[in-house]
Amino acid sequence: MLQMKQTVTICINGQEYTHEVKTSITLLDFIREKACLTGTKKGCDNGDCGSCTVLLDGKAVLSCMMLAVQADGASVLTIEGLSDKEGLHPIQKAFIDSGAIQCGYCTPGMVMAALALLSVNPGPTESEIRAAMAGHLCRCSGYENIVKAVDTAAKAMAQAVYSGERRG
Amino acid sequence: MYSVIGKSTPLIDAFAKVTGRCVYGSDFCMDGMLYGAVLRSPIAHGIVKNADASHAKALRGVRAVVTARDMDFPRYSVAGVNFLDEQLLAADKVRYIGDEVAVVAADDQDTANEAVSLIKVEYEELQPVFDTQEAMAEAAPIIHERLGTNIANEMHVSHGDVEGAFAKAHVIVEGDFSSDRIHHGYLEPNAAVARWSHSGVTFWIPTQSPVLAMMTYAKALGIDRNNVRVIQLPLGGGFGGKLEYKLHPLCALLSKASGRPVKMVNTRQDELAASLPRMPMKIHMALAFDSDGVLIGKKTGIIGDNGAYMNYGIGILLSATTRSDNLYRVKNIRTDSFLVYTNQMPTGAFRGFGCPQSHFAQETLFDEAAVKLGIDPADLRLINASQTGDITPHNWKLGSCGLRECIERSTEAADWHEKKKLLHETDDGKWAKGIGIASCLHVSGNRTFLPFFDGSSALVKIDGNGKIMIFPGEVDIGQGSKTVFAMIASEELGVPISWISVADMDTDTCPHGLGTFGDRVTTLGGNAVRNAAIDARRQILDVAAKHFSAADSSGITIKNGVIYSEKGDSVGFADIAEAASYQKAGGLIVGQGSFQPSDVSMVDPFTKVGNISCAYPFVTQIAEVAVNRETGEIKVLNIISSHDLGKAINPVMAEGQIYGAVAMGIGFALTEGMIEHNGAVKNQSFKHSVMPRMTDMPPIKSLLIESNDPNGPYGAKGLGEPALTAIAPAIANAVYDAVKVRIRSLPITSEKLLEAIQGHTDGKDGE
Repeated sequence: MLQMKQTVTICINGQEYTHEVKTSITLLDFIREKACLTGTKKGCDNGDCGSCTVLLDGKAVLSCMMLAVQADGASVLTIEGLSDKEGLHPIQKAFIDSGAIQCGYCTPGMVMAALALLSVNPGPTESEIRAAMAGHLCRCSGYENIVKAVDTAAKAMAQAVYSGERRG
Repeated sequence: MYSVIGKSTPLIDAFAKVTGRCVYGSDFCMDGMLYGAVLRSPIAHGIVKNADASHAKALRGVRAVVTARDMDFPRYSVAGVNFLDEQLLAADKVRYIGDEVAVVAADDQDTANEAVSLIKVEYEELQPVFDTQEAMAEAAPIIHERLGTNIANEMHVSHGDVEGAFAKAHVIVEGDFSSDRIHHGYLEPNAAVARWSHSGVTFWIPTQSPVLAMMTYAKALGIDRNNVRVIQLPLGGGFGGKLEYKLHPLCALLSKASGRPVKMVNTRQDELAASLPRMPMKIHMALAFDSDGVLIGKKTGIIGDNGAYMNYGIGILLSATTRSDNLYRVKNIRTDSFLVYTNQMPTGAFRGFGCPQSHFAQETLFDEAAVKLGIDPADLRLINASQTGDITPHNWKLGSCGLRECIERSTEAADWHEKKKLLHETDDGKWAKGIGIASCLHVSGNRTFLPFFDGSSALVKIDGNGKIMIFPGEVDIGQGSKTVFAMIASEELGVPISWISVADMDTDTCPHGLGTFGDRVTTLGGNAVRNAAIDARRQILDVAAKHFSAADSSGITIKNGVIYSEKGDSVGFADIAEAASYQKAGGLIVGQGSFQPSDVSMVDPFTKVGNISCAYPFVTQIAEVAVNRETGEIKVLNIISSHDLGKAINPVMAEGQIYGAVAMGIGFALTEGMIEHNGAVKNQSFKHSVMPRMTDMPPIKSLLIESNDPNGPYGAKGLGEPALTAIAPAIANAVYDAVKVRIRSLPITSEKLLEAIQGHTDGKDGE
């Protein structure tokens, strides 16, 4: 089979990754196999489960549903880039404290989706959380504690902004 | 009373999971690794005449191709099953669409996939059989010639005088019930990395049971168990679907053929074409009651669709055949069950293990009986509920039974009696509301289908730095058992939980527990860890006694990592661990613990009587629904879920199990199922095989009922499986309460319900 190749540069979590890749490779496979960041999960390869969600230039995308070449020159944030020297992001902390994690396979995608949601809607209602994250499957949790975690994180982040601590 | 047990504790592996640093089975890589792919049969039943892999072998980047023609594969089945009906690749025949025919390893996944498409297999098609009743007919095509029949197993259970009970019954209810193949829906597909070397094969796999995997893969590959090492990696969900699975030994086969490590990961399509989904069952059940509402007789016929291979079919059928009988105090029982091969996807263990199917029948019929008897459905269950101390006709010894409390607390929380009366007043002609109740039971460890032993073992290791590591015999598949084990060790050793880590399983270093299934881990594994921690504590205290110059260790206590003498002197736990290590020339403190429940037995091969578990959990669930008469749409408005789990060791995660199981139960009730046509699954994606999403979930109230079982660690029993089982009948009963229509085949889709509402199908009681 004739395979077209192209050199692609994607900035992932602040680091540039340049690789010559088949044009058919997805952004998800670029992240997992070329950048060796396996925190972003592959659940269906079909855009149905949300496990592969990352932020592309600040917006949540399903990385299995776009090609790496489409992300050439873009900036990507994955779960590995979310925590920093200050420690866990409030969303991550809320996921742990609320018991929102069981097997944890959906967790990276859920956390990235929550981050995208709270960046445009810092104080979502419960039904807004559910609607915004309905594209994400979780088979372990029944979603109950995930919804609680997003709500808790929203409140913690609002409190932090109010008291001028860190991050919006 | 306890310092750790019973207090909600975050998962000890949550940090790795929430930061993306947890390496799951499908994430694991090795240097020099190849990628494998499987060629699957496109036909349901046929003879493999010829396989030409020359074009595949010639493709650049292909390192190994193995077809069924290349070698004699040993016959095998899963652990504990005597009829060996599988081979790694279909040598003589293919028996379902998806059967493995050839495998390829190549430098990358694309090349492996392309090579698979270049293998030409010639089949002689045979008449397939898809329906279980057709497969049982005399003239049916035989799927396994060596057996000579498609009936893989049959069970005939009889207690008391069933005919006599039915002859004098005041009310008899009966019906036919059915359910589909359902995929587990774990988000991480099955995956494997295997490396074959001179000393044997090593697997890195996300498996629920490394020990059963070791046993089965040794048989499948025709090698000694000593030459198989299984290293378990974290699982992205299991739910019964990640016990032994053919992809793993196929991966080993490719490693042997290529001389390189090989990785294989299922696509979602593979999962929905060739995994081990829930067994579809056709159940005919009849219940007989006297005029006081006492259940006096139960007659059941079950036909289980095994699919093309046996797997754990006998265990699943046994569970469906016997377990629901123990929920109520019924003495006269007859059940005739058949396990039947068909040319469909083989089935396997899935949360509930036959109980969701059988309880759907029983609990729906209980509702029908309540209507006929004029007794409230909750009261009818209270009249018949099993109780602590009961010994059932199956010889189950109920050391604790919180069923009555489950029913009472559920109805109270649901405002049951009020809603039974008033919900109907909200009926506007289009939307009708209803409320339904159902109960179920389960086991805490299932002695029935593995002959080896019951129980579990664990090691608790303390090194010279005071670092504590538990080597359990059982696997955390996301239910939080690592955290429960760490809590138990923390409680017994008197040290902070942050000092304790729990190893993933490795058959070379861990005790050989049987794995995660049958709700056995907290009860059996928890007791083992507790005993191992007590043993480690004894050793630490002996060293501490020397330190305090005390005659013996009596009176010495450990609290929050500090050891206190009887006189009130203190020393750090780590200091004593260090001293212990020096006294042993760098040795470790290794606490060993085993737990083997007494008075638990395999079932009798003929009567199926046996006390199969050391503790039995009970559940009652109540669903409130709204039904649209014009479209058949069902909205679940809320769920009350009560669980006699003995003792909640980690309440936040116990509730997490319940929420997840309720969601799965709603899927089982309303949406999930493989759509099969001529042996092919038509809905091979999450998009078309619909699991509940965030927006589908009603409010759930969970009630944890602590009956304090005498055999459980701190009283704890199983939880995760029964939390699914009663949801489907509770919803079905609520649908009846709303629109007076019974749907007896799952899932209750809008189409089925609308047809029944419009009177086109038999949906009425007593028709």
